[in-house]
Amino acid sequence: MGLREDLERFREVGEERREDLQSFIRYGDLSGSESERIKIPIKVVDLPEFQYDRLDRGGVGQGQGGTPDVGQPVGQPQPQAGDGDDDGEEGEPGEEGGEHEYYEMDPEEFAEELDEELGLDLEPKGKKVIEEVEGDFTDVTRTGPNSTLDFERLFKQGLKRKLATDFDESFVREAMKVAGETPRSVYRWCREEHILVSLAWIEAEWDEIPDDERGKWASFAEMADAVERTTTVQRIRRDGLREVPFRRDDERYRHPEIEEKKEKNVVVVNIRDVSGSMRETKRELVERTFTPLDWYLQGKYDNAEFVYIAHDADAWEVEREEFFGIRSGGGTRISSAYELAGEILEEQYPFAEWNRYVFAAGDSENSSNDTTERVIPLMREIPANRHAYVETQPGGTAINATHADEVADAFADDGDVVVATVKSREDVTEAIYEILQPATAKPRATANPATE
Amino acid sequence: MATTPRRFRDVARAAADRLDEPVREARALARKLGLDPYPVNYWIVDHDEMNQLIAYGGFQRRYPHWRWGMTYDRQRKQDQFGMGKAFEIVNNDDPSHAFLQESNSLADQKAVITHVEAHADFFRNNEWFGRFSGDGDLDAAAMLERHAETIQRYVDDPEIDREDVERFVDAVTCLEDTIDQHRPLAVDRDGERTRPEDLRGRLDELNLSESVREAVFDDEWLDDLADAEAAAAALDRPRADVLGFLREHGTVYDEDSGEAVEMEPWQKDVLDVLRREAYYFAPQKMTKVMNEGWAAYWESLMMGEERFAGTDEFLTYADHQSRVLGSPGLNPYKLGKELWEYVENTANRREVAERLLRVEGITWRNFHDAVDFRAVQALLEPADPIAGLNRETIDALAALPEDDPRVDWEALDRALSDPDAVDVDRYPWKVLTYEGLAERHFSLIKPQNRGFLGRIRRDELEELSRYIFDDATYATVEEAIADVDPTAGWERMRAIRESHNDVTFIDAFLSAEFVEANDYFTYEYTRSTGDFRVASTDPADVKKKLLLQFTNFGKPTVAVFDDNFENRGELLLGHRYNGIMLDVEQARDVLERVHELWGRPVNLMTIRKEYDDHDVEVARRRNREPEPTEVGVRIRYDGEAFETFELDEDLRARIEADDVDYDTKPDEWLS
Repeated sequence: MGLREDLERFREVGEERREDLQSFIRYGDLSGSESERIKIPIKVVDLPEFQYDRLDRGGVGQGQGGTPDVGQPVGQPQPQAGDGDDDGEEGEPGEEGGEHEYYEMDPEEFAEELDEELGLDLEPKGKKVIEEVEGDFTDVTRTGPNSTLDFERLFKQGLKRKLATDFDESFVREAMKVAGETPRSVYRWCREEHILVSLAWIEAEWDEIPDDERGKWASFAEMADAVERTTTVQRIRRDGLREVPFRRDDERYRHPEIEEKKEKNVVVVNIRDVSGSMRETKRELVERTFTPLDWYLQGKYDNAEFVYIAHDADAWEVEREEFFGIRSGGGTRISSAYELAGEILEEQYPFAEWNRYVFAAGDSENSSNDTTERVIPLMREIPANRHAYVETQPGGTAINATHADEVADAFADDGDVVVATVKSREDVTEAIYEILQPATAKPRATANPATE
Repeated sequence: MATTPRRFRDVARAAADRLDEPVREARALARKLGLDPYPVNYWIVDHDEMNQLIAYGGFQRRYPHWRWGMTYDRQRKQDQFGMGKAFEIVNNDDPSHAFLQESNSLADQKAVITHVEAHADFFRNNEWFGRFSGDGDLDAAAMLERHAETIQRYVDDPEIDREDVERFVDAVTCLEDTIDQHRPLAVDRDGERTRPEDLRGRLDELNLSESVREAVFDDEWLDDLADAEAAAAALDRPRADVLGFLREHGTVYDEDSGEAVEMEPWQKDVLDVLRREAYYFAPQKMTKVMNEGWAAYWESLMMGEERFAGTDEFLTYADHQSRVLGSPGLNPYKLGKELWEYVENTANRREVAERLLRVEGITWRNFHDAVDFRAVQALLEPADPIAGLNRETIDALAALPEDDPRVDWEALDRALSDPDAVDVDRYPWKVLTYEGLAERHFSLIKPQNRGFLGRIRRDELEELSRYIFDDATYATVEEAIADVDPTAGWERMRAIRESHNDVTFIDAFLSAEFVEANDYFTYEYTRSTGDFRVASTDPADVKKKLLLQFTNFGKPTVAVFDDNFENRGELLLGHRYNGIMLDVEQARDVLERVHELWGRPVNLMTIRKEYDDHDVEVARRRNREPEPTEVGVRIRYDGEAFETFELDEDLRARIEADDVDYDTKPDEWLS
């Protein structure tokens, strides 16, 4: 019993209590994550309890220098007096903060965990990628980009060189104080003694010897007996490694062995209806579905690229950062997005080299006949591992929202086309499962109300 | 003392000498001021020990649980960043134990000691605390230590899976605030009943022939009977003590048999232990504002006005005090202290006003014109020897009539005969009595309260005068003021500290004046902008919102409504809806734990606010807030999955509050 044990147990429990992936995807804050690092909040905050809804509860604040006006934003809610029922009696007021801690995972780990949670097992297909170079950096050349410079080798060579040219300077200086010797005779004696000094160094240093010290020693032998020599290692230990001479000759650039390899490339096209009818809830459901899909595929493939297309009656390509935030007015013509997607894929991501996933999402509203006349033929024309349409319809389908049904009907027999409906956050993981499940099994997609 | 904590002994001894005198004198001063604290044992601890004590709720031995580790970890991190530094911690025990941080300056230690004495007084005299200790002796440290040993024994028991104990503790802890904190710990058996037995069982025993049975007791009739009996037996009134109810009637689900079975003895034991702790700690949570305010009030009086801090220490103290009281947001120290001052001022004002209304010619109608408040103020000033008391002026004190109740004659005699025995310069209060000190610190003469008397409202005066029959007792204002009892304020404060809790305290004493003077406001989440905005500055709204935060620990009230819901042995909990919805996600998590204590499916009734997408959009455009639809739901958890059902109208009516409504949002949004 005691603190150490409780602390240790807390760490273990915290690890277990990481929010499970499903509820993270459904309800968690996805925006805190980056594509390389996915942050899953760890619910170590505390045990659950009956509490008021944070937003509905509101609170009481205190104006700083005057009462604020009604309607003025208050920023982050101030700590509430009733908060935190720490049983302890004391502690500064306002110290409570229900901050989350995060568990970070990379996309690979995310994909693995999602496989486990949803019972998925997507085997990424390798595409024949001709001349793709990939392999160990075992070949070596004398030139190359700086990033491939074999610095370890350069350093070792430099060090060897330094060891080879290093000598005991103070010992040589003492030798220069032997009576009657000249630079050349000192040099010759040094060389006999295997001291790697150059004649030039001795000549340069010769005049530095103070006159009153010349003739300090009667002979080399007397000097050598009296003065202790130090080894290179001792000197390095004493003075540190001050300079290592780097030479161009020692530079080697590693470079990978050329090897024909199937690289697992994937391009994911995310298409989103941003027209006026796509309100906040619908938008959020799209983000909850698409973002984990992106992470998952990124984790599954060696090389993942993403294309984001927003559309109303027209389509345009956008950056990921803007993708989920855009709202436009306008009508809806879904085919505009597929036209643009087709062009981009054709130009930059040939199907022979790239796995393609084309995901579109919206509320199923489309301009009349666009689905049958334009979208379905376009979907047939664009080869892809998987086409998916995610219908986000909180609170039931509108009468004119028939896009999802029409697509589902048209591709009822095609396992590579999936239509999923997301009515609420609870449906998100189910939709992700449908979209990622292997093409052969399609029970849920066909059981969709879309097909009659 | 038997429970002396060994590990603190060395450090404690080192610093003890230094604090010996402050402890002794603070206690004497507190008693002179009318406080009656538990004896307090003081310990000096370093900051790591302090963090540890905070984590364990002010005690050294608690049952093993990861939550303490979590709090400690958090506390340590805060401490590292210089946030949340604790000066002291004091626990509710007889004797109380106070732990002072070693690094506190001497001025801080003195302040903290005065603060602690006031807490110990509150613990001892507030009736909410008294409910737990009852008439028996409170020995919380020993109780908690026994609990610790009990649970540790089960953790160590090779027959019991350690994880099971922990899970069970977790489940119970989730419900530690769903108790009936307004009643004593003893199990409340009202509203209980025995479950009606299904007649079928008895019929089987009678060995009736099939034909008779079919003719008389057909299945339909039996079902109807069972339903009717079940309905009749439904709990007459909901049981707030959910933990107690589960202790009496809870079962656990047995994986092997697939049935609910009786709890193991260890489970009942753990539940008892944790429930007792919940009741022990409840009063502290219920009186945070009062208790902190009470301590801050007396600390300030002793340290500031009675100069318990040496002159050189006073600045350090004042700085510390202003940091504690000045932290932004709503802070219980400041709120509590100011409410207590308000109580004191109003009681004193009432005392003065009652005297003045008895002066010939002064009525509630002409009060504000007839009374010269400045003159009254001057008359209320304490007599000279009482106010500026020091070694030079004690002779003046000694010159007072021998029966003057304001003078502690015994102490004065000692001071006069041996000036070193009673240091009047340092501790002038020693030669005064409670009455003397009350006059010396009469609140209405303090500079900050100068206008308070004159601000008395006419309706209050009218009310006072209704009970005054001899309205011409005094010929002059001087006579009337001479009769003012300066202890009126303190007497009233002590009476209130006995019976109130935060909710009743705020409800009774939070005045519009106070809300306005402190620029308090309420805020609400606005859906149209997606942020929190100032909703109201109306004192009535602020008060309502505050009451929401203090009622039932600031948490929604959940009670047991039925233990045989739909005649299937399911538990039916109800959230008593007051206009603010539950955190449904968390509630579901709690239900999972409740299931572990019930063993059969559990249900929670609540009311959810739903916002239509379209309405939010329209509201956004029109710059106002959307109207939510309130939907009654019953969330059911059967051990594996959740289901949500629409709530029957009559059940909905039972959980909906009709008299309390905390909805403080104004109709029109100005933004």
